[in-house]
Amino acid sequence: MNEFLTGILWITLTVASYVFSRKLYQRFPSPLLVPVFTSTFLLVLLLLIFNIEYETFMIGAGYIDKLLGPAIVALALPLYKQREMVKKYFASIGIGVLVGTITGLWSGFTLVSLLGFEPLIARSALPKSVTTPVAMEIARTVSGEPSLAVVFVMIAGIGGVMVGPFLMRGLKIDHFVGVGIGLGCASHAIGTSKALEFGEKAAAVSSIAMTLSAVCASILAPLMMTWLL
Amino acid sequence: MKLFLNFRFFKIMKRFNWQKYAVISIQISLLYGLFLIGSLIQTWLGLFVPGSIIGMILLFLLLYIRIIPVKWISTGTELLLNHLPFLFIPVTVGIIQHLGLFGGHSIILIPIIMISTIIVMLVSGGISQAVAVRRERSQSE
Repeated sequence: MNEFLTGILWITLTVASYVFSRKLYQRFPSPLLVPVFTSTFLLVLLLLIFNIEYETFMIGAGYIDKLLGPAIVALALPLYKQREMVKKYFASIGIGVLVGTITGLWSGFTLVSLLGFEPLIARSALPKSVTTPVAMEIARTVSGEPSLAVVFVMIAGIGGVMVGPFLMRGLKIDHFVGVGIGLGCASHAIGTSKALEFGEKAAAVSSIAMTLSAVCASILAPLMMTWLL
Repeated sequence: MKLFLNFRFFKIMKRFNWQKYAVISIQISLLYGLFLIGSLIQTWLGLFVPGSIIGMILLFLLLYIRIIPVKWISTGTELLLNHLPFLFIPVTVGIIQHLGLFGGHSIILIPIIMISTIIVMLVSGGISQAVAVRRERSQSE
């Protein structure tokens, strides 16, 4: 019974922090206030203040997490509706994803190594632009630390949607193909959820970018490790 | 008074659109089923691609060969995708297990990861847009 109440409490608090963050973002649409960041920040703060374990939070939040799988499956619908567009832009999507994946793997690893961090951390930073489960798998393959990889994936996701759209606008990357590829390649599923704000076409491109870059990265990452070392 | 309460209760029940929520639940269950099938395929074939992405490809194919009509999933899909950022919160809060990273000298990893992310976004977005725009021009000529 106690566990049941704990679950209900954390589901309610998670919903409340999301509703609040969304309202806040609607009132002040600043990139620094994207709902995913504000609600994460609020909940982490709450857990720290009351000294509560992540496992306790997940008793309730785990049910929300269960809906993430079907939501990713649901991305097939914008993809299906936009299939003609995808066919038309297939070459640009393919080139963008390939270049993006290689840049992502290489730049993360190199920058972290250059600053003198130990190889374990650099290897864990390798798959940061890839969706979480694949990133964990890649980190394991290149003998990095999967749980550390997840943190980098979160920083790439949240950080990317916070500053990316602003910089893309500045550099006149405003075509739905450019926006979709950029968000999907750099910030995976969190980027794709941002791409939905730009419309169905950008979202469809972004889901393809996220999927293809996950596949490319899992093939390229082990190869790259042999070149880089 | 009793009549008034009954009336209010009736109004609230009427405002709560039961039919719509039933439809949404069934549609999300269907999506969840596809996710489970995707996960099973992943374990059976020992693939590195996650079950959710296999489910997505599966649903795309089922829509494409018209086994699943769009209206079977459209309402549930709309709800899930409108609130996609909400569904990430449980995972992102997991950062709390690595707060050591946010203290001391390793905090520099955060800007580094962000710089690398921005490079990826601008390079991949820029190149794909350049190719797309060139193609649009050559088609309109």
